[in-house]
Amino acid sequence: MKHAKSDLLQGTLDLLILRTLASGDMHGWGISQRLQQISQDVLQVNQGSLYPALYRLEQQGWIESSWGDSENNRRAKFYALTRSGRKQLAEETASWERITAAVARVLQHA
Amino acid sequence: MSVQSMFRRLRGSVRTSAFEQDMDAELHHHLELETDALIARGMTPEAARDAARRRFGSVALVKDDCRESWGMRAIDTLTQDLRFALRNLRTYPSYTAIVLLTLALGIGANTAIFSVVHAVLLRPLPYANGDRLVEIRQQSPKIGVANQGVSVKEIADYGAQTAALDAVVEYHQMSFNMLGRGEASRVQTGVVSANFFDVLGVTPILGRTFREDDDSKNAPAVLILSNAYWKNALGGDPNVIGRTFELNDRLHTVVGVLPSIPQFPASDPPDDVYMPPSACPFRSNPQTIASRTGRMLTAIGRLRPGTTLERAQNDLNVVTGRLGAEYPEAYDVAHTGFQATALSVHDQLTQQARPTLLVLLATTGFVLLLVSANIANLALARVIGRERELALRSALGAGRGRIARQLLTESTLLAVTGGALGLLVGWLVRDLLVAFTARFTPRADEIAINGVVLAFTFGVSVFTGLLFGLLPAFTRRSDASVKDAGQRTVGSRRLGARNALIVAQVAISFVLLVGAGLLVHSFIKLQQVDAGFRTDRVVTGLVSLDFVKYDTAVTRRAFYKSVLDKVSAEPGVDSAAFGITAPLDQAAPFLNGFIVEGHAPVDRRAQPQVDFKFASPNYFKTIGMTLLSGRAFTDADDAGAPPVAIVNLSMARHNFPDIDAVGRRISFDSGHTWLTIVGIVNDAHDYGMAEKPTDELYRSLAQTGPLSASLLVRTAADPGSFSRRMPALVHDVDVRQPVSQIRTLEAIRSRSLAPPRLTALLVTLFAAVALIVTAAGIAGVVSFSVNQRTTEIGVRMALGAPRSSVVRMIVRQGLTPVTIGLACGLGGALLLTRASARLLFAVEPTDPITYAAVITLLAAVAALACLAPARRAAAIDPMQALRAD
Repeated sequence: MKHAKSDLLQGTLDLLILRTLASGDMHGWGISQRLQQISQDVLQVNQGSLYPALYRLEQQGWIESSWGDSENNRRAKFYALTRSGRKQLAEETASWERITAAVARVLQHA
Repeated sequence: MSVQSMFRRLRGSVRTSAFEQDMDAELHHHLELETDALIARGMTPEAARDAARRRFGSVALVKDDCRESWGMRAIDTLTQDLRFALRNLRTYPSYTAIVLLTLALGIGANTAIFSVVHAVLLRPLPYANGDRLVEIRQQSPKIGVANQGVSVKEIADYGAQTAALDAVVEYHQMSFNMLGRGEASRVQTGVVSANFFDVLGVTPILGRTFREDDDSKNAPAVLILSNAYWKNALGGDPNVIGRTFELNDRLHTVVGVLPSIPQFPASDPPDDVYMPPSACPFRSNPQTIASRTGRMLTAIGRLRPGTTLERAQNDLNVVTGRLGAEYPEAYDVAHTGFQATALSVHDQLTQQARPTLLVLLATTGFVLLLVSANIANLALARVIGRERELALRSALGAGRGRIARQLLTESTLLAVTGGALGLLVGWLVRDLLVAFTARFTPRADEIAINGVVLAFTFGVSVFTGLLFGLLPAFTRRSDASVKDAGQRTVGSRRLGARNALIVAQVAISFVLLVGAGLLVHSFIKLQQVDAGFRTDRVVTGLVSLDFVKYDTAVTRRAFYKSVLDKVSAEPGVDSAAFGITAPLDQAAPFLNGFIVEGHAPVDRRAQPQVDFKFASPNYFKTIGMTLLSGRAFTDADDAGAPPVAIVNLSMARHNFPDIDAVGRRISFDSGHTWLTIVGIVNDAHDYGMAEKPTDELYRSLAQTGPLSASLLVRTAADPGSFSRRMPALVHDVDVRQPVSQIRTLEAIRSRSLAPPRLTALLVTLFAAVALIVTAAGIAGVVSFSVNQRTTEIGVRMALGAPRSSVVRMIVRQGLTPVTIGLACGLGGALLLTRASARLLFAVEPTDPITYAAVITLLAAVAALACLAPARRAAAIDPMQALRAD
């Protein structure tokens, strides 16, 4: 599996997707809208780049997908968090908090 | 990677189109929703669609990334690589053809030899209990008897007194006349214990095996047929069970047919039919049964499950110790060193083939290495030719790994195709191989291209592909740029790699040539051995008399006399005689102890031994042996005359070192009858050209009267046409008397020399291929270097270098790796050919003549291979060379 570009950005996107799905099953477009909404348009991801991340997370077994009807009665692919995805989210949230706290301390005191 | 995700990946790759459809639908859905949302915010549908696309980014790129995330890329790349490789190979048909041809040869040779090794050495015996079978061999090492047979009583003792063996069965071969099927025929009969086939674990394909109640004088006589006899003589008759045949004046009923299995104990000729001991008139004779020393049987034991050969050997030691103490007159252990040895039946069946097969396996392995080196060399040359293309692909963003993978895909594709062709080669030569292997082991018929052989060939192919693909892939310069890719300065590192390959090729060729040279030299020595008899224009056939009809020595002598009179009177016959067997046709001497008149009495078991034979008056004349002193037998040496004998030179020298043997008397029965030595003949290689002549003694046929004898006829012209008349002449004397094994002496001699001849031929063939491939490799590298140095050579010649010095320079540089290769090969050969010592006759593995010849040959061929490109170099026009580029 290719992790060559697993820099902060990609890791962050993964974390955000997992967190978003934690509040309920969603299709791709829904996830992108939700991210924008909650981050108050600060996080402007290229919408397309969401999908490779979704496919990767599904490959890791952290999320799973199924086809269903969307709100406007179209066929849509819905993503849901798996058990191991929930565990992963907890771990990544913890490590994210550690890092941001550390970075914040550095910014304040250095 | 978890199993699940692997499964998902696999599913993704198998159902590619489903994956693509899903992805399309999902992304399309996203764009629709986004467009709808934008329209809802007041955009026109068109502007909304455009904006949605902009926000999404490149759909193609996203799809690509999605595919990669899903793990499709690897498979895509492979298909791409394969397609590209195919296109590439089609572009260079001659390169592809050469590579495939050499691969087919190399892999084919390995497949063929491995199929033999697998069938003969690796697979368990096709008897259910094959790995538990041992032969119990009785030996008397102190008087030089390696295999003295086993008696009925001894079989019973071993069966009852060894805990490690759960059964001991007997075997011996007789030859009987079979009537009732047109002309009387001779059948080789295996006489076996009733439970013999059950102990071996052989299930008949028709009918049943023997039962205990078959083995009784009063029981109806029964027969089991060997598979080959059933197929060849009876046409594979499916209703053969219940058919009757007349043998030994009794009607025998067929009760079973054996499957096609290697025969053990092996015999030549092989068994046609089997009968239980009670049906054999010799074995069922009360004297035979009562005698502890009537050792006519082979004993086969079956190890109890979980027992080892060592335990069986320990048990045998205990039993022989007990027997020696209980029956001192039958064993006399102090003088004879009597012992019993347990030998694995598997080893017995295969040991003769083992050294030859291992040498051949090593040979073909070397050939494959050499082929790989040569193809690597060709591939290197081609990669250099493709430098511009590869550099361009590099510049366009193909990673180094990707290009290496592309080259490996190409080489593996070639190797697997070559492997498939090799399989074809292996399959085509199967019949030849079976015939070849049959000279060494009865397991030859088991040779087959089966799953294991297929797996081996596939493995070898892939390995070969990697071997010759890796080198070009990884000697590629990482800094090669499009700009200088076409320049002739590129590739000095390649030249180094190519020279290293030449070193390897020369070294391998050297080892193979030395191996071939040693075998050929050894075979020449073997052929130069004076057999001691002449094989030209002599026909022989075996006459085994019906012992019911010819039950006395008198009737037998009369029969032999009539046949000789009849045959000698034939036009075109120079002379005719009877002997015990044809020379080279008997496996082992028939040794007997004797005493010499006037010598101090020696205990029976410490007596000198002599190979016991008989001959009619014209015997020595017919097979071209020389009478050295005294006289040959005459018609007067018959039953009424004093017993006489003729000995060979070895016997005379060993027993009468200081005096003339002629006129001396010896006795085989402790002095009851004395034989007067009347003549001395030369030594003959009766038991194989590589064997030392044994001490031999001939008695006059007319004073013995054996049950079977070989008719030998020296013809004036073509012996072949006489062979066809031989049975008719014997039938004139007795129409029911068959003649079997009619062959010329030349054919027998040729057959006895076949194993070393065929081995030498095969190894020489492989070595010749190696030499040609190596020569081509050297020529290729030298002409490559000439091409590279055209400008430099032009400059040299423009500056006044004579053409001859250019030739010398090129040849010298071409020969440098050859010299290093010769040195490596010399070391390797000295180390490796020791393994072939067992196959050599009168030649040391370090034979200087062979080594000198191989060095000369290789050096000469290498020089020749350098010469053509060197002369091309000398023909370079300096002006044109300088203007090029």
